[in-house]
Amino acid sequence: MALRAAVLRHIRLPVQTLTAAGSRPQPQWSFLRLFSSHDDHLTKEEVIDRVLDVVKSFPKVDPSKVTADVHFQKDLGLDSLDTVEIVMALEEEFKLEIPDKEADKIDSCNLAIEYIYNHPMAG
Amino acid sequence: MSGATTAAYLARRAAQKERVRILYRRALKDTLNWAVHRHLFYQDASDLREKFEANKHVEDLDTIDKMIAVGEATYDKWRHPDPYIVPWAPGGSKFTRNPVPPSGIEIVNKGLEDP
Repeated sequence: MALRAAVLRHIRLPVQTLTAAGSRPQPQWSFLRLFSSHDDHLTKEEVIDRVLDVVKSFPKVDPSKVTADVHFQKDLGLDSLDTVEIVMALEEEFKLEIPDKEADKIDSCNLAIEYIYNHPMAG
Repeated sequence: MSGATTAAYLARRAAQKERVRILYRRALKDTLNWAVHRHLFYQDASDLREKFEANKHVEDLDTIDKMIAVGEATYDKWRHPDPYIVPWAPGGSKFTRNPVPPSGIEIVNKGLEDP
């Protein structure tokens, strides 16, 4: 990690002062551009918002029942094939490629949010 | 025929359900590959769903196995030759485009010879 930081310090333009943990810049820095996509991960709120939007716009789902803790089959009364469709919609939304075995395990909003948040390539 | 809900029966059913889910997932992605325009995709996706729903109530394990085998054969027959794969995934266009440089290399003085 220190080596990587040293390399990045050489090649990254010193546009702004991030903390050592590489935290997301504060809103007043929003006019400054990050010239590397290294820190460009989604925040948890963004992930939750987009996941809930996708689930709410599913035609068989009642939007008022959708929260971040919802289980697709138990709480929303969906089928296992509906779960497959929702996972596909999430893949399309975040431009991910989820392996079949992993996608089979995603059963609730919680798992989906966690998986997407921890995925390095979530767009 | 296969007894009441024994553990082996349930295990077999669970394995079959997983195969069905994975088959449905792949078939749906394939449908999207073939029918690029969204309105066509929705039509084809609902047709695919109808086909799966029609056999939903079957209980006999061997029949289910045969149906799954037929489904997988149909899927293999109709697979798209050039499927859309997300760029960074294996098979995509960006895969291993910028690999991580091997560790232990330090770029000193931006690679220039003279300081």
